Amino acid sequence: MSTQDTGKAIDAQLSRRRFIKGCSMAAAALGLSETMVPKLVEAAASPQRPPVIWLHFQECTGCTESLLRASHPDIGRLILDIISLDYHETIMAAAGHQAEEAMQASIEKNKGKFICVVEGAIPTKDGGIYCQIGGRTAMDILADVGPKAAAIIAIGTCASYGGIQAARPNPTGAVGVRDLIKDTPIINIPGCPPNPVCFLGTVLHYLTFKRLPRTDQLGRPLFAYGRKNHDQCERRPHFDEGRFVEQFGDEAHKQGYCLYKVGCKGPQTYANCPVARFNDVGVWPVGVGHGCIGCTEPDFWDTMTPFYERLPGVTIPGGGQGIVTGADSIGKKILGVTAAAVGIHAAVGIGKKVIKGNTSERAEDK
Amino acid sequence: MQYTRHPAWSVLLRLFHWCFVLSIVVLVTTGFYIHFPWTNTMIEGSSSFPVATMRYIHFIAAFVFTGALLARLYLLLFGNRQERFWDFLPITGRNIKNLGSSVKYYLYLDDNEDHRLGHNALAGIAYFVTFIVACLQILSGFYMLYPESVGWQTWGLKLFGTQQQGRLLHYLFMWYFILFAATHVYIVVWNDIRSKEGLISSIFNGTKFLPEKPEQN
Repeated sequence: MSTQDTGKAIDAQLSRRRFIKGCSMAAAALGLSETMVPKLVEAAASPQRPPVIWLHFQECTGCTESLLRASHPDIGRLILDIISLDYHETIMAAAGHQAEEAMQASIEKNKGKFICVVEGAIPTKDGGIYCQIGGRTAMDILADVGPKAAAIIAIGTCASYGGIQAARPNPTGAVGVRDLIKDTPIINIPGCPPNPVCFLGTVLHYLTFKRLPRTDQLGRPLFAYGRKNHDQCERRPHFDEGRFVEQFGDEAHKQGYCLYKVGCKGPQTYANCPVARFNDVGVWPVGVGHGCIGCTEPDFWDTMTPFYERLPGVTIPGGGQGIVTGADSIGKKILGVTAAAVGIHAAVGIGKKVIKGNTSERAEDK
Repeated sequence: MQYTRHPAWSVLLRLFHWCFVLSIVVLVTTGFYIHFPWTNTMIEGSSSFPVATMRYIHFIAAFVFTGALLARLYLLLFGNRQERFWDFLPITGRNIKNLGSSVKYYLYLDDNEDHRLGHNALAGIAYFVTFIVACLQILSGFYMLYPESVGWQTWGLKLFGTQQQGRLLHYLFMWYFILFAATHVYIVVWNDIRSKEGLISSIFNGTKFLPEKPEQN
């Protein structure tokens, strides 16, 4: 097996054991058989590492942080070892014009071959002036770099769908990469932050099979986002059995029952959180007693809030501002109005009869 | 005035109506439970599965609802004269005229009813809107029932948005059916009292009573 000497091609601090372990995790996330692990290892250890330009726009760097700050550094280091990271504002040594020159040089050298990773949304309002790097707007940079890439990986919900920047009223006109770039293949790895395993799996899939993984209709790789959290949740039996947390801290909460009634959005969210889990210690929000907030879904700040209720508020148009009310209360209000209308209608009929007598009987008398 | 009996509704239409009624009652009841499961248990190691059971009943009723709607779709196109959509939608001169007189009759502005063997145009509009909402309700329901189906995801995203938005719309559409049912029951009772057509019994026996010489339309 060609994996024998892979230790030389990669970071000496990353032991072969941990390297194989990281590749195996990615293979498991991709749903590949263990016989594929050597192929992944071979691809990951190839001396020809794909150049990566990592662009940061409107973001909090949380995606990068979650990638790098794994409790033991297997995945973060593995990612940094299998790709040649030519430009990444958070971790590169170069600064200022030097950094921009390095980026331009790498783009020109690897035109059509490099992977462009985008982190953060792109503001489009007022010519995109709300996010500028080195005097250029994010729109400009993406329009320049994006089409020259072999593929774009949008990491995080902001780069995928706009994220919190795009939440109503979206003051900067923020959008995701897929709204601006049409001709370059784009993979979305949404999440706030996304699981590093999903990113690693996508990169390794690309290196091993020379093509991007299959995606759903929202551009998310099916191996990670093909199933809903609810359908993989360890608390699912409590849902089916009708054992619910009524409020945080109650006895049912202590027993680890289902969080559906305190607003868990797992039933509406496609992700692999219950399976892949986070931070190498096997945790994920529902596992530690907080409902899923649906962070891998487009517009989740608008459609998943309030986070501790089942359904979002409904905007009633009018008065310029619009009133937001719960779906329940709007239904009940309209029911009240209908009941009132029926009551008035009936009262008019009875009133008319009292005043004028029974007209239909009179008609019959004729 | 003499009234004579005329056949109005086919057996299939009456079957559609009652399947629709029953499935809506079951769907709303179980739907509310699924939306907010008001029972709660701390008993573990049992296997009563209340939420799973409610979902199971909801899905069976949903298929009955779908079947009923497909039957109505067939009747809209190939049913008897009263059941076809051009008999009651305001798309013909006769029906537009009827719409005006029906509105006046319902608002107590005109005591002379424009008798129809089928639906009047006002009711026709309400039923057609209900038909459309029912279609959307079915589509949003299947979108949630088959979350991993590529086909349903393609159409679901176009029509409703994400699963969460589909769920919200599914819930709001349910309120439409509650409102429709309340209004519908009131209006048929009101009509049954006010007119001599025998409207309520017509959905059981399929016949309505019209004045001796019904207008020749």
